[in-house]
Amino acid sequence: MDPITFSIIRHRLYRVVEEAVITLKHVSGSAITNEGHDLMVSLYEADGTLLLGGVGFLHHLTSAAEACKSIIRRFEGDVHEGDLFLLNDPFTAALHTSDIYLVSPIHFNGELIAWSACFVHVYDIGAMNPGGFAPEAQDVFSEGFSSPGLKLIDRGNLRQDIWDTLLNMVRGPEMVALDLRSMIACNNVAKDRMIALIEKYGLPTFQETCKLLVEQSEARLRERLRELPDGSWQSRQYFDVKGEVYKVLLTMTKVDDELTFDFTGSSPQSKYSVNCTKWASLGGLFAPLFPLLCYDITWNEGVIRPIKVIAPEGSIVNCTKPSPVSVATVGAIQSVNNAACTTIGKMLASHEQYNDQTSAVWHANHFAVFMFGKNQKGGEAIGILTETFAGAGGARTFADGVDIGGEIPNPISRMANVETVEAMFPVRYLFRRRLMDSGGGGQYRGGTGGEIALVPHDAPDGGLHYVLSGKGSKFPQSEGLSGGNPGALNDYVWVHTDESTKSNDCFAQTLDSIPGDKESISWGVFPLMGKDALYVRWNGGGGIGDALDRDPQSVLTDVIENLISPAAAREIYGVEISDGVIDDFKTSERRSSLKHKRVSSNGEKR
Amino acid sequence: MTTRQSSTLVVSNGFTCCAHCLAEISPAGKPWKRSTSVSITKIVQIPGSTSSTHPDVELRHFACPNCSALLDSETALPDDPFLDDVLNP
Repeated sequence: MDPITFSIIRHRLYRVVEEAVITLKHVSGSAITNEGHDLMVSLYEADGTLLLGGVGFLHHLTSAAEACKSIIRRFEGDVHEGDLFLLNDPFTAALHTSDIYLVSPIHFNGELIAWSACFVHVYDIGAMNPGGFAPEAQDVFSEGFSSPGLKLIDRGNLRQDIWDTLLNMVRGPEMVALDLRSMIACNNVAKDRMIALIEKYGLPTFQETCKLLVEQSEARLRERLRELPDGSWQSRQYFDVKGEVYKVLLTMTKVDDELTFDFTGSSPQSKYSVNCTKWASLGGLFAPLFPLLCYDITWNEGVIRPIKVIAPEGSIVNCTKPSPVSVATVGAIQSVNNAACTTIGKMLASHEQYNDQTSAVWHANHFAVFMFGKNQKGGEAIGILTETFAGAGGARTFADGVDIGGEIPNPISRMANVETVEAMFPVRYLFRRRLMDSGGGGQYRGGTGGEIALVPHDAPDGGLHYVLSGKGSKFPQSEGLSGGNPGALNDYVWVHTDESTKSNDCFAQTLDSIPGDKESISWGVFPLMGKDALYVRWNGGGGIGDALDRDPQSVLTDVIENLISPAAAREIYGVEISDGVIDDFKTSERRSSLKHKRVSSNGEKR
Repeated sequence: MTTRQSSTLVVSNGFTCCAHCLAEISPAGKPWKRSTSVSITKIVQIPGSTSSTHPDVELRHFACPNCSALLDSETALPDDPFLDDVLNP
């Protein structure tokens, strides 16, 4: 095929996805979509083969592909021009019920020639807790509406009975309707642009391009894998829910041009909603694989073919129905993602050419805080604190991680302005800033996470409540590489203040200076009423290399900018600072002493 | 012939070696961490931890017994074994 035509069509396909994403964001009214970019759009061939995935939450590319294939199987002989299907069942393809897939067939001259799919985390799904994350759920049946596939639009006509039933089961139906309409608009735009593309280049050329695009991706990934040495690499993640500790253990083995991800040894499934299904695990491991191994390869089915996954049934990475899974996206899926990021990073570090593309784990621990209640305008509001999308960059082999740098699985995520949140909810921020000592130590430091504190403000009901699905306040999850330290941990603190308390520091600038009793919390529904405050801190990225090799001047700069404490400078980096100046002699002595300690205090061999 | 195994290790003459001083650590293709100097620090003792931090979780540092160069690190609960990263010989 003419390579120029091939490149033009490939480029046009990227633009189709990009324009569909813009449409989705313009129509949607949710902060989680507009600010957090908790969305995804992708294109498929007629048989459901993933043709091209765009930006957004990459966990969804493989799951949406399975959703598409599932719809094809379920509605065989009943797919018509102008149809649109909905699927959100986690045990069929979705990650959790609140991430709804809308899937549209694309016809050309009456022939089914492609599909488009998109998702957003809808405003509400009718789970027992508002917002979709349901830490109190006992099973998937208490996590809201769930469909393995239904036809929402039949030959261009909205099925009003289905529409009304859906909206009858959720909180804030007008906002859920807006979410659904934004996705319908998104798929319509994708469909129109695809048809325009085919009209210009002809169906045979389009279909040949699709076939080549998938073949090219597979060939290029296999070629890259053959360049890398054969071997196996391990990673382990811990997280906790209400005192119960869970483990995700990954052994990644590379032989010739294939990669196997084996999760044998991971914990049994949980009674809490942090589990993930096999489709979710698949999405979790592909989210870092696409950008780390395939940054110059089109993300499609060809990338999936060289990858094998072993996820024991009944484990936390492949739970069985009716296990609850609503917190999966910030639960086990994220640990799968982190573990895959680490093993891929280790493999890249084993090759001279790819070492500089290695990255320690980025933002390893989302914190889903969904606030709900009556807002200052008298309306009901539900919404996530979008700081969870702010993340922190993992260190690279040549530079520090980016402070508040986002996350690998969603390259376009961001957090809302403080003012945006304060306009939507009856709250006031006491502070929001980078968090000292949160980036993992190393020759190159992990990017810092952040910290915020909120108090009720101008609330008709005296405040509001929030759903907290904050697993992972006990274990660091942003692993370092090549000797680097992990990023610091998340924490969530409920500050109780008695109503009779006179003291109320309206401008407290630290957790310690907020008056009241401080209680660490992580899981459940909590009040933010009266003079309460909510403090949240989130993890930094992992570090890379030996912290004792870090340039002392960089350590001093970090201390001056309050990114690391003087104690960390001395204990982690071995840098002695006196009156704002590095003491070179003492630093040299200190570093020698710390290195000597490594070999003199030999720990137990396991 | 010397080939790279990781940022901190090389394979030379059938052995996994420290990339800094080329000291032999263990036979190539075999787990190598048991042949290093291991130092263990509780995460709760590291600046940046919180009162919620699990009291048992530890940071393991693996260093070259010859030159004390840091070779790798991992986070673990005390009963869990070392993570193994090996290249096929």
